[in-house]
Amino acid sequence: MIQLRDLHKSFGPVRALAGVTFDVADGRITGLLGPNGAGKTTALRILYGVLDPDRGSATVDGVDLAASRLEAQRRLGVLPHSHGLYPRLTAREHLRYFGRLHGRGGPALEARIEELAALLDMGEFLDRRTDGFSQGQKLKVALGKALVHDPRNVVLDEPTSGLDVAGTRAVRALLRRLRDDGRCILFSTHVMQEVSALCDRVVVIARGQVVADGTPDDLRRATGRESLEDAFVAAIGSEEGLG
Amino acid sequence: MRLDHLGVVLRKEVADNLRDRRAVAMALLFPLLGPVLLAVTFSVVARQARSAEERPLTLPVAGADHAPHLVQFLRGAGADVVEAPADPEGAVRAGDRDLVLVVPPEFGARLREGRPAPVRLVIDESRQSAHAAVERARAMLSAWSRQTGALRLMARGVHPAAAEALALETVDLSTPESRAGLLLSMLPYFLVVAVFVGGMYVAIDTTAGERERQTLEPLLLHPVPRESVALAKVAATALFATLALAETIVGFGLVPAALPLERLGFSIRLDPGMLLRTFVLFLPLLLLASALQVLVAVRARGFKAAQASLSFLMLVPALPSAVLALVPFKLRPWMMLVPSFGEQQLVLRLVRGEPVAAGLQALSMGASALYALLLVAAAARLFRSERSMFGK
Repeated sequence: MIQLRDLHKSFGPVRALAGVTFDVADGRITGLLGPNGAGKTTALRILYGVLDPDRGSATVDGVDLAASRLEAQRRLGVLPHSHGLYPRLTAREHLRYFGRLHGRGGPALEARIEELAALLDMGEFLDRRTDGFSQGQKLKVALGKALVHDPRNVVLDEPTSGLDVAGTRAVRALLRRLRDDGRCILFSTHVMQEVSALCDRVVVIARGQVVADGTPDDLRRATGRESLEDAFVAAIGSEEGLG
Repeated sequence: MRLDHLGVVLRKEVADNLRDRRAVAMALLFPLLGPVLLAVTFSVVARQARSAEERPLTLPVAGADHAPHLVQFLRGAGADVVEAPADPEGAVRAGDRDLVLVVPPEFGARLREGRPAPVRLVIDESRQSAHAAVERARAMLSAWSRQTGALRLMARGVHPAAAEALALETVDLSTPESRAGLLLSMLPYFLVVAVFVGGMYVAIDTTAGERERQTLEPLLLHPVPRESVALAKVAATALFATLALAETIVGFGLVPAALPLERLGFSIRLDPGMLLRTFVLFLPLLLLASALQVLVAVRARGFKAAQASLSFLMLVPALPSAVLALVPFKLRPWMMLVPSFGEQQLVLRLVRGEPVAAGLQALSMGASALYALLLVAAAARLFRSERSMFGK
């Protein structure tokens, strides 16, 4: 359960968020949709605790990030905007490092790593250094990192960007499985197919504000457009930044 | 200050950087430079000293026929008088001869008249390697001059001592340790360099490198206090620097043992106790250097920029000592408050075999430790700042 309340954030003269409010429910996949530069990444960065809002609050399972950042971060699994890897560490060492940072360790952590390796089909490169990994392999390691502590809330910033068809389908299948476990899933995208294929609910954000919030059908009905893409354009009021 | 998971981050940074060839080379190979340079310097000095003492002075004399008595005296004093080349000045200039003694034809006549008889010693004052030979030739010539002069005075019924207004006696207070200290004066700077270079790549890799690889944000979104992250990076840097410092000190300790220095009139007492004292003396400075490097590197735009800044940073501690090497000065307690300068001056005195007051050492270490703690706190603060972590 994630709640964002009236988030404001400016970088110098640039206003990135101007009052963003929405909830993300458990057992649902919620898509955060918006053109490039709409403020998606800024909102998520505030949510996962690397940026502080100028105003407003973000809570995870009722835990306020401003008051207890570490406690809130413990409840989140995050695939961040920049998901670089350490080229001299193996995939397994990545999972172990970030598992330990979540306070896990010992045989339980090692078993969890094996479980994730099976889930994400990492067997063949699990013990190779990540230098020279393909996009798909890198993303699997990053996803493994996000899930290593078995979080109830999962936040992903453009999880399928740069992936081929097979990789995209695998990620979608994984997100559905996590939802069916009753987890709270929030992901950002600017790709329309992603939303129609996956989302139970869409939050559309443009120019730092929420301009639409509902199921894909709600969105189509509210804007009176047949295709989701047209509905999206109608909601944000222009065609800028459509990918 | 919360420091959960500091050990997890530290262990990862150390393991990661031990796999980095550059980081390991900087920590392990670079510190060998000082001891190797010292060993080379000593063997060059040793060879020169030996050749100057053991070889007879080869003295080319032009116009030896004009001064048979002088030549006989020189031979008696141990010089190997040989035929001079046709062009004495050209030969010295070209480096074929270290020196040439030229006796002009009028030598005999002037000598008989009791007037100063001219001789010319052709040398190149700037040639360091010829110094010993030139000094010996000068000493021989003035000995003959004094002896002949004394004979003339006695012939006139004057006591030769009347011609000596001064009884000059030079008392050389240099000890074998202090003579060696002159050669060891480069040691302090190598210790400072080790302290900076040892962890340099780790400081860059764990900060600017982390940012460039885009792993900084993934790290900081984990439930780890920022202080832990900052301190782990300083600690990893300090560990590599400690390795470099220890290696440098052990290296310098082994050089005197490997070379026959006592025979050359040098004595270096780099005994284990003194080496350990030097190691301890440099530890607060080491922490200061590591914290400073992390602070500078985390603000750099990228790996290359950080590298440039840190290379420059390394030169700064050399400046005060380099300036004061040219100006004589007396060590004052307040100088201990200048980080790196205090340590360098104290270790210089240690290797010269001079007593170093425990109070001065404590003052120097205390001052550096204080600066180090302030810098560590500043680094922790910087890691908390959203702008320095994610600002453009």
